[in-house]
Amino acid sequence: MSTIAVNAITDASAGNTTSINGVTPNANNVVGKNKIINGNMAIDQRNAGASIDTGQYFNYTVDRWVAFNNVGTGKYTIQQNAGSVAPPENFASYVGATSSSAYTSLGSTDSFNLYQRIEGLNTSDLGFGKSTAKSITLSFYVRSSLTGTFGGVIASNNRTRTYPFTYAISSANTWEKKTITIAGDTSGTWLTTNGIGVELLFQLGAGSGLLGTAGQWASANVTGVTGATNLVSTNGATWYLTGVQLEAGSSATEFEHRLYTTELQLCQRYFEKLSGIVYGSYIGSFGASYATWFFSTEKRTTATMNFAGSTGTAQNISTQSADVYASSTYPRIGAGTTASAEL
Amino acid sequence: MYKQTNKFDPDANSIVANAGSYVIRIEDNACIPFDEANTDYQEYLEWIAAGNTPDLAD
Repeated sequence: MSTIAVNAITDASAGNTTSINGVTPNANNVVGKNKIINGNMAIDQRNAGASIDTGQYFNYTVDRWVAFNNVGTGKYTIQQNAGSVAPPENFASYVGATSSSAYTSLGSTDSFNLYQRIEGLNTSDLGFGKSTAKSITLSFYVRSSLTGTFGGVIASNNRTRTYPFTYAISSANTWEKKTITIAGDTSGTWLTTNGIGVELLFQLGAGSGLLGTAGQWASANVTGVTGATNLVSTNGATWYLTGVQLEAGSSATEFEHRLYTTELQLCQRYFEKLSGIVYGSYIGSFGASYATWFFSTEKRTTATMNFAGSTGTAQNISTQSADVYASSTYPRIGAGTTASAEL
Repeated sequence: MYKQTNKFDPDANSIVANAGSYVIRIEDNACIPFDEANTDYQEYLEWIAAGNTPDLAD
């Protein structure tokens, strides 16, 4: 057994690409490097793998991901493991969009996309909006029945700053890994609060009024790239995604596979579903009594509650718990009740 | 559409009408707290700003 005691290890060119057992350690690939939550699409609290027609603006699919559609029903569906194809090596899940029609005549503001909004508290280290803004690298696995140029956008809160990007799919129905490095934005206002820090958006369809030029930052609210493929324009077309990682730095490192429990807790900061039942006590005619659900994870903000199978009236909703009160009966919070604090 | 909610006052052992700290979104019965970081509450504020008024509590 020997010990190496040196002040620095560099590669043969005195650079910073030295690898150890195939991994190049750097300041950005420590635990927590991936800004994306549920990038491996493993957690689906809301739908448990069921397909949903994206008939509303905000269609929540696998946790932390929203399938957006401002046109209406019958355009595309979204589902964890849609089509039941084999995921890429070292992954067990993906999310899939399937076009339900050939919607070719998009209105100028029609928008279809899959996005994740990253909380500003988790992106403050990127320094966006400052002269010291760091470069970021996006990597992901994608598979589509279509080939060609596809698009996406990195955006600030309210999309006052946007960076459209493209990626090419060269082989139909084949998983391909894509890597895109983006210079950090030195302009604009980027939240570092519990609001939207950075938004990552994959274009599935965008009208002419929402298209931008790839490869540059702009102060324009866009959700697509000029010339990119619109999935919704080909009936039955599929587009699958997994292994999404957004990290600081100019190179893509190996996807950060977190423990399932860790990933679930990260998701539950934004959405949590009660699987059991919470009862309060019955105290007869002496007033009201409470049933309290203490969340597994503190929420990003005071949660919107949807009580299912519950008895009583909601009160005392916070980032950590929610009550119902009742008199002359047992207060109860039923299974399936949800707490949402999405961005 | 939204409606206000009541609040139970444990000290007075009584219900205070329309004093709840959240509103109910009628379409899905969601309880939306008065927290400006909550995106559902942001939508509610936009709805109020458009000149709408929530229903009174049951």
